[in-house]
Amino acid sequence: MEVKTNEAKRPAAALNPLKFRAAIYNNMDSEDIGFSNYSYWKSTLRTFFKNKAVVALVALVTGMIVMSFMYPIFSTVDPNKVSMLPLEWNLRPSAEHWFGTDTLGRDIWARAWYGCRNSFLLGFCIACSDVGFGMIAGALWGYNKKIDPFMIELYNIMTNIPSTVYMVLLAYIMNTSYITLFVSMASRGWIVEARFFRNRILSIRDSEYNIASQCLGTPMRRIATRNIIPHIVSLIIMEAALCIPYSIGSEVFMGFVGVGMPVDAITLGNIVNQGRASFTLHPYQMLLPTVILCTITVAFYVIGNKFADASDPRNHV
Amino acid sequence: MTKYILTRTLRSLLTVAIVFVTVFMLLRLMPLSGYFPQEILKETDEATRMTYLRNQGLLDHPFVQLWRFVKNLFQGDLGRSLTVYPKVPIITLLKEKIPVTAAFGFASMVIGIVLGISLGLVMVRFKNNWGDRLGTFFILIVRAVPSIIYLFFIQVWISKWFDLPLVFYKDRPESWVLPTICLSLGSIAYYALWLRRFMVDEENKDYVKFAMVKGLPKRVVWKKHVFKNAVIPLVIYLPSDLLFIISGSLVIESLYAIPGTGGLLTTAIKSQDNNLVQVIVLMYAVLSVIGVFLGDLLVAFVDPRIKLTEGE
Amino acid sequence: MKTALNGHTTPLILSAKNVEVKFNLRGKTLTAVRGASLDLYKGETLAIVGESGCGKSVFTKSFIGMLDKNGYISGGSITYDGEDMAKYTTEQEWLKVRGKKIAMVFQDPMTSLNPVRTIGEQITEVITWHFGTEHEQAKREAIELLKRVGIADAEYRYKQYPNEFSGGMRQRVVIATAIACRPEILICDEPTTALDVTVQAQIIRLIKELQKELDMTVVYITHDLGVVASVADWVGVMYAGQIIEYGTVHEIFKQPAHPYTKALLMSLPQLGVKGNDLYSIKGAPPNLFKKIEGDAFAPRNPEAMEIDFEQEPPRFDITPTHWAKTWLLHPYAEIYRKELDSAEHKRKISATKPEKPFGYKNAEKLLQVKNLSVNFKLGGKEFKAVDSVSFDIYKGETLSLVGESGSGKTTIGRAIMRIYNSNVSGSITYKDENIVEKMSKNETKKLHMEMQMIFQDPMASLNERAKVDYIISEGLYNYHLFDSEADRMHKVEEIMQEVGLPKEFSSRFPHEFSGGQRQRIGIARSLVMNPEFVVADEPISALDVSIRAQVINLLNKLKRERGLTYLFIAHDLSVVRFISDRIAVINKGRIVELAECEELFANPLHPYTKALLSAVPYPDPDVERSKKLLTYDRAMHNYTKDKPLWTEIKEGHFVLANQAEISIYRTEMEK
Repeated sequence: MEVKTNEAKRPAAALNPLKFRAAIYNNMDSEDIGFSNYSYWKSTLRTFFKNKAVVALVALVTGMIVMSFMYPIFSTVDPNKVSMLPLEWNLRPSAEHWFGTDTLGRDIWARAWYGCRNSFLLGFCIACSDVGFGMIAGALWGYNKKIDPFMIELYNIMTNIPSTVYMVLLAYIMNTSYITLFVSMASRGWIVEARFFRNRILSIRDSEYNIASQCLGTPMRRIATRNIIPHIVSLIIMEAALCIPYSIGSEVFMGFVGVGMPVDAITLGNIVNQGRASFTLHPYQMLLPTVILCTITVAFYVIGNKFADASDPRNHV
Repeated sequence: MTKYILTRTLRSLLTVAIVFVTVFMLLRLMPLSGYFPQEILKETDEATRMTYLRNQGLLDHPFVQLWRFVKNLFQGDLGRSLTVYPKVPIITLLKEKIPVTAAFGFASMVIGIVLGISLGLVMVRFKNNWGDRLGTFFILIVRAVPSIIYLFFIQVWISKWFDLPLVFYKDRPESWVLPTICLSLGSIAYYALWLRRFMVDEENKDYVKFAMVKGLPKRVVWKKHVFKNAVIPLVIYLPSDLLFIISGSLVIESLYAIPGTGGLLTTAIKSQDNNLVQVIVLMYAVLSVIGVFLGDLLVAFVDPRIKLTEGE
Repeated sequence: MKTALNGHTTPLILSAKNVEVKFNLRGKTLTAVRGASLDLYKGETLAIVGESGCGKSVFTKSFIGMLDKNGYISGGSITYDGEDMAKYTTEQEWLKVRGKKIAMVFQDPMTSLNPVRTIGEQITEVITWHFGTEHEQAKREAIELLKRVGIADAEYRYKQYPNEFSGGMRQRVVIATAIACRPEILICDEPTTALDVTVQAQIIRLIKELQKELDMTVVYITHDLGVVASVADWVGVMYAGQIIEYGTVHEIFKQPAHPYTKALLMSLPQLGVKGNDLYSIKGAPPNLFKKIEGDAFAPRNPEAMEIDFEQEPPRFDITPTHWAKTWLLHPYAEIYRKELDSAEHKRKISATKPEKPFGYKNAEKLLQVKNLSVNFKLGGKEFKAVDSVSFDIYKGETLSLVGESGSGKTTIGRAIMRIYNSNVSGSITYKDENIVEKMSKNETKKLHMEMQMIFQDPMASLNERAKVDYIISEGLYNYHLFDSEADRMHKVEEIMQEVGLPKEFSSRFPHEFSGGQRQRIGIARSLVMNPEFVVADEPISALDVSIRAQVINLLNKLKRERGLTYLFIAHDLSVVRFISDRIAVINKGRIVELAECEELFANPLHPYTKALLSAVPYPDPDVERSKKLLTYDRAMHNYTKDKPLWTEIKEGHFVLANQAEISIYRTEMEK
């Protein structure tokens, strides 16, 4: 090739003619384009915990869970102990009764933690069953074309009725108890989750990497554990976290409508609803348990949403 | 199009029928003692109670009762209330109560859409700024705190601050304010949340960039391009908004002693008035199914991409 | 300011000097454009060529202030109309230019129109906004524009929504919108990449015509050298945020000076010799987060000099119209340059012997497809994605399936891989066994080990949550094809070596590999089980130009070494010609023509094949400018009475034709 070289501008530094010879070629350098050894889970957790408020909320919720399960073990106060002395009724918060006592002289501090424990238990059970059954049903739904029309119809029927009407009705038909509460919430929640997981699993099923696995003859078991579950774990966590405020809120609602737990059961819903009755005279009876209740629901809601954000690779830092 | 509407109607009817039959049958499984208030239960003996139930037709086979109910339904007879308003025809009750609930529901739906979209716009306009944070906080409260709790505090405190009546009076319009606002809170949060999310999503799409490249100022692009695209998917949420409001009316009508159907359902449930419960559930089921159906039609109407064909 | 000496005959209208664009991304700063300079002259066409991530798109977007929110011009100047646009800060300032003086056409017509407003509204709003025209008048103008860009029935189409238009039609609408204000400069950002070849050629022709009519300056941003050859007067080659070579289209194509430009041109399959390796560029484009020292291309250039790693080369003028930034042009490099030239000459001579064509006489049939049909349900309606297709594949050959998007070519590949378990009718016989029917577990296992697939999109075809090690050994795990963990590791390392990846990469997640590397991982995954037959579904169409040659060579090497048989699915005829023994052309679910590679290029019979061949851009400006474009319309055939049949018109040359057409083709063949 014939080239006439007219140098446009000479660089300031003097050039070393010896540098104009072949350099050693390094294949590794040309292939390596500045990796940071990325791992999905590390990045998700780092993004999640980067937010200070989230760290605080996670610590708070963990503390409350531990407290609500430890308190009934170590405390000697009987939350159901009704006092016969009117003097011990409706006491304001004090050193002896931190949250005061209610209209029957029961210690609200103790009741709040028992209530917390029961509400947590209920919430966890609902979360497990909704997300668990939902995921299984969603997987079957996504993988089985035949049941698709049936499931869609079932989904339409169940979600066409307002959830509150549905729950109230079921709880009404059965007797009030933990089981009733659980069944009325769980029998509807799973299908909503199933639909959610079905859509995700469908998109994974039709994605190229999964088709590649199919071509390699990967057995169903390994497709589930390697291709599907790692991609929906973050969704499972998020959905479970969001289930908890929903179920606790529903319990309060059912208590209000009059189909919640029996009066003698200690749940946050019952405590709040009982406090509501005497709110005008003794506002603390409702306020303090309400603060605990709202802290829990808000914390789980925020954690669930922030986790959803953090688990999206686009937000990874 | 016609074919689509026809099949959809049939399917909606089927849904309503399934829901209703299930509810009807389940209600028949309940203990018979529930049909009597505590006082009557104490005062009467087994035999009189059975005669009463037999006269009411409640001892017949459930399918016979169902058949009778359906037969009467087509003659405009919905049966009679058992315990809440003994022996009053339910149709009379509903005639009295539906207008109240409908008025509240409609008003709060409009308020919800208007305020929700405005809030969403404010949040997008002041994204990552005070307006956005305030809106996010509001949405957080409404969505995360159980509704009973904030509704209760609104009733107790807000009414005190603004000197509004605690309960509903038919002849005092200022007593309608709080219930209507309370009923629309959920929808406001809902619309604001989704509008903000959709608008932020749309913002990065190619057609928005292309509209900017055309030399249109940002303000015009947002108004003419982004907003329309973000609002269309909101239409899909209209039916669920309806469901929202129905759910809300259960609580709010009892809180404010509003003589509507939502309050009636809670009362009927508390006093086990099966005849009333089944009618109200039927009504709500019909309403929801119609809502969802109309929502789908509306989407097809406003979104040129969607064509109504049978199948999908 | 330049004078007529620099080869431009028209006035200078826009001058960008040392433009630097930075982005703030995840707390880090990325320099996307590192001091690029460019002059635009009235009425000329400039093409900016470069692979993805080289900053070509960002650079031109800075001319109209359309950088993303986190991006900003951090240095240099863009002079237009006597003002420095790099200093613009408010929207107001940009609005004077945007759309009115400088317009832009985006890559993907499917997303650049607002889906919920009629196309008419979208055109008229530009006219009314910029000129304050009355709505009725603007509407008339818009309809005229639609007619001008070749949209039939414009009055009716005016009221339609974008979803009622095909991709090519939408791009026409986009162009109509862009030229609505008769801009001085039209920037086309990969305007045809998302379109099919035949449509692509039409759009390019349309832009050319409009440019002449309106005396516009057109800037093409593209990675396709064929398009460049066909449209450009001037070419700027961009690499790692800089224009590294600039010249007239002939200078760039015939006398490239920068090693990167040379490498790009040499790696084109059109210029390769069948059976020999294509020249390939190693590695991947540099990471712009890192500070780049010296010549950015040096790490990938096996012939780089030591100085390339140390100092950034200045601009050297080769002719008044041609300059490049490479130390090779420095007088000190003269000896080394001569060395390189002679080495290259030798390489060229040694690589002129094409491989002898595949011998079909004694070939054994590996796979027979008979009357294969695949039906899908879409929106309640059933449609035929593949309509009774028949062909054979011989052991050891590469059969290519060429067609446009939606032609059913991928569906055929997937049907052979048994991915659809229903909807498939007809028969596919692999080694005397019909694989459409249900098979026992053992048979399926055997089939999986012998038949594998390579996927199109390397971004989607690797499981993001698994390490490379697992991805590659998935097949080994499935059938326990290893004795011990050490044996498995050994096998993985071996195959990684074979596809040219360092074995250290096996513990990494696929996330931060480049497209080409990911594709090689995908190839390693399919080949680790030693298959005999591989379906390669557009394995290179999602890759950058500089990476394609690597993958093509790899596929060819594996074929030679392992005696593989390929079904190669593609839309790019230039690649297909280089790689395949026989070609089948598919249109709307039916194979219309099938012949040996050279036979098909020499004697295309079916009008669709002819149209397709005429539309393929060829990277030589002389060839491109003299070619004639043929179009194909299904309505050409009259199949109402005389049904088309799959006919062997000459030994090994099949065509779908009816009796009348067959006689025409026969006479054509005899000529």
